[in-house]
Amino acid sequence: MNQVPWSLHLLAEVLSAFSVEDPEALRTMINRVAEAVDAEVVAIVGVHGVGPCIGVSPQDHAPLLACIDQRPESITVRAGQLQICWAPLDDGETLLVGRLAETFDLEERALVRAMARSIELSQQIMKAVSSERMAREVAVHQAIHDPMTGLPNRTQVLEHLSRRLAEENGELGQTAVLFIDIDRFKQINDVHGHAVGDQFLIEVSSVLRKVVRTGDLVGRLSGDEFVVIVAAGEPADALALAARIIERIGHPLIANAANILHSASVGISFATPEDTAETLIENADMAMYRAMELGRGCYAAYDESMRQLVQKRATTEVELRRALKAGEIQCHFQPIVCIADGRIRGVEALARWAHPIQGVLSPGEFIPVAEETGLILEIDAVVLRQVCMAVAGWNQFSQDLPLSLSVNVSARTFVGADLVAQVSSILQDSGLGLESLYLEITETMLVEDIEATTEAVDRLKDLGVKLAIDDFGTGYSSLLYLKRFPVGIHKIDRSFTVGLGADRENEVIVDAVIGIARSLGIEVIAEGVETEHQAAVLAGLGCSYAQGYLYGRPQDIEATQTLLAGQGFFLSSADPRPLQEKSRG
Amino acid sequence: MPDSLPFVANSTEGGRWVRVGTSTATSEPAAVEEAMEQIQAHGAGGAKLVLLFASPAYDLPQLARLVSERIGAVPLLGCSTSGELGGQRSMSKGLTLWAMGGEGVTVATGMGQGGAMSLRQAATDAAQCLDRLERRAHTVLVLLADGLCGDQMEVVRGAYDVAGVDVPLVGGCAGDDQAMQFTQQIFGTTLLRDAVVAAAITSDAPLGIGVSHCWEPLGQPMLVTGSSGTRVVSLNDRPALDVYLDAFDAPADVRTEPEAFSAFAATRPLGIRRRDRIEIRYVSSADFELRSLITIAEVPQGGLAFLMQGDSRSVLDATADACSMAIHGLQGEQPVGMLLFDCVARRTVLSHANIDNEIDHITAVIGDIPAGGFYTYGEIARTKGAGGFHNQTLVALAIA
Repeated sequence: MNQVPWSLHLLAEVLSAFSVEDPEALRTMINRVAEAVDAEVVAIVGVHGVGPCIGVSPQDHAPLLACIDQRPESITVRAGQLQICWAPLDDGETLLVGRLAETFDLEERALVRAMARSIELSQQIMKAVSSERMAREVAVHQAIHDPMTGLPNRTQVLEHLSRRLAEENGELGQTAVLFIDIDRFKQINDVHGHAVGDQFLIEVSSVLRKVVRTGDLVGRLSGDEFVVIVAAGEPADALALAARIIERIGHPLIANAANILHSASVGISFATPEDTAETLIENADMAMYRAMELGRGCYAAYDESMRQLVQKRATTEVELRRALKAGEIQCHFQPIVCIADGRIRGVEALARWAHPIQGVLSPGEFIPVAEETGLILEIDAVVLRQVCMAVAGWNQFSQDLPLSLSVNVSARTFVGADLVAQVSSILQDSGLGLESLYLEITETMLVEDIEATTEAVDRLKDLGVKLAIDDFGTGYSSLLYLKRFPVGIHKIDRSFTVGLGADRENEVIVDAVIGIARSLGIEVIAEGVETEHQAAVLAGLGCSYAQGYLYGRPQDIEATQTLLAGQGFFLSSADPRPLQEKSRG
Repeated sequence: MPDSLPFVANSTEGGRWVRVGTSTATSEPAAVEEAMEQIQAHGAGGAKLVLLFASPAYDLPQLARLVSERIGAVPLLGCSTSGELGGQRSMSKGLTLWAMGGEGVTVATGMGQGGAMSLRQAATDAAQCLDRLERRAHTVLVLLADGLCGDQMEVVRGAYDVAGVDVPLVGGCAGDDQAMQFTQQIFGTTLLRDAVVAAAITSDAPLGIGVSHCWEPLGQPMLVTGSSGTRVVSLNDRPALDVYLDAFDAPADVRTEPEAFSAFAATRPLGIRRRDRIEIRYVSSADFELRSLITIAEVPQGGLAFLMQGDSRSVLDATADACSMAIHGLQGEQPVGMLLFDCVARRTVLSHANIDNEIDHITAVIGDIPAGGFYTYGEIARTKGAGGFHNQTLVALAIA
């Protein structure tokens, strides 16, 4: 052993001290120093105190600190007298190596200094590695977290959920997914601006974090869609959590000094052995849509019928696209009559789907899918053009006053930037008089997105098109809007008409609506009139026009034309037929 | 901590005592009964600690339960073994009960559990029992670790983090009758793996520690040019396995058969250079594909390594050395017992025919005082410096 040259010994010990795999394992390096020179105590001592240290417990650090300035060659500790070897390190720190009994010879001192240099290098590497590691961790964090709320993003949510499902190993009832959507979030952005909208989402994420238990995961999938993954012992636990989330989000949230009162809809799905992370989230998403259908601030748990419904909707969408190309979307008309003389003064156009197998389908069977998929824009355009052509054709041969035409338009079409150009083009192509056309929108559309609606109305105002407000009295329209908007017709909802003559309250409401309309110079049409008595009451209240089964059900173009002809609407020599669309090139 | 409750009615005559009981009975109740009888034969009043070293051939949970029932609230620690020592004999597939008690001695026990990556923390956790001990003049920490779990240097480092310079460490790594599959540690009636169990013993009288291996270097030292933890990749820039096989002129089967290699390597350890000694590293296996050696504790890259050799003579010399050193550490006080941690590879060197010679050498030094222990997969003895993990070494703790 003594034949080993000192230089080789020194080199070997330095190398071995420096061969710690993990550069963060400074403590292991300290141990290596101690093992190299058979020291009992090794510490890194600085002005800020004792750093990594072996051999002396923190309670006994005082003697080490006390002597840092003098750097004596020995210190007395409880175990005896420590012979000390000092070696300088970076940043004013010192490597203290202490050995009981035997002093350090010159070679050992040289060895300790060489090892101190190793430690310095290691610390430098450590710092570099730490910053690199931190940068890497930040990059990883950013890749799997939503930068705005700091919540795990879709990638992380799916990973977490997949891991949980794997850990459950097919056991039932362990994991539940809650899909949370903020009701009418777009309105917050529109009314308060995107900065407030963002702040609102941050507040929501904070609420969600507080409402879940440790171990549960809150993530943000996109926009106003959040997800919570929980270990639910019983389904009731998840339902209770959903209720709690709805209740907490229902509290007014303050974002950028704006006090925002809002609600959330929550869909819940429970893991089954067949589920993947993707299907579980899809199921919760479907349940969320069911919750939205139940009304705002509701929750619903997923069941198999929802998927069937979605599949049915998907099939309907494919069919609907085909139907549009095949011209199966057709128009029906319901007559609007003057109560006083019973003559037809106008028609309301209604879309129907002439399905080759299922027969004629009413709007309720395909409009919701059309709304979801955006096909409604195309349907609205097709219907508007068809009915304008038809009514313009009839009016051309009329020996009476021209018929008015009410056409229902969806919210998406109504607020769309193309509407004005579209209406102008159709009016020009059909020759329908501007005064004959009423675009029928619901009262709810008016109040739901008031900003977008106002912009659309302003554009239509310039064109001169009037509005008919459908279902008037069921919503919460501000009279101010009614005055400001170019409203030509109020339609009294059938729910009020039905009770006329039997329900005094309904009469009062209808009377008030008619009074408001008259004062604003707006015509009133009562919907859903089915009996002569209802018609008489309406007439008595001053309502001039009505539509309903009493006067005729919605019928196709030919039947409507026959009806009009029977009333002597056309000139006797005329051969009225809907106008053919002019070519627009 | 339980008080020093006697687990037998006999009172002792004051001072400290050590009792050892052994058995090779195959049934657990019979083995416990036989060993307990030997302990009780000389009285065991005021017992403070019982150590159970037993072959994994036994149902260890049952053994632990049976012993616990007999000793009541006295702390019980132990481990599985690859052979047992006690009652002046060397056993295999048996058990040894080692008990100590009496006046002027106090014990606290602890445990820590963790895999290879958290072995240091496990040892630190186990060693925390020192903090619950009101120390007397002399203290030692006895450690029983899982020798097949990670780098055993970390056990010494983790325990040293708590014990510091004031408290020496002794102990050994549990065995499994050389199946090299897994070992178990006993803490009360709980059986653990990947764990460290510890007993902090503090006494009014000195505690002596002896450690010796007596292996000799074969040739010149070599630079460890490649190693990672317990894998030695290259020596002097050559594949470590090739260097090893060539230097020892290994026969053909040793070069290809894992079992033949392990048996061959049991008596041909590596030595790593320390300041004034060589520390032994047991070569447990070889990676024939990567041409590397696997050891039971780290061989640092950059360090100096020796190929070591020994024979029955050197093993027996080490036995006497370690026991003498332990007795010497009692500073003239009379020993009342001894705890032994003897590497299983030393037993292989001695072979069955010479195994009694080791017992004779122990007896020659310590006389008829009770001594017991087990054959280990690694030994712990830190008396100076901060290191103290050994292989193919005998560690002896003498109690006065």
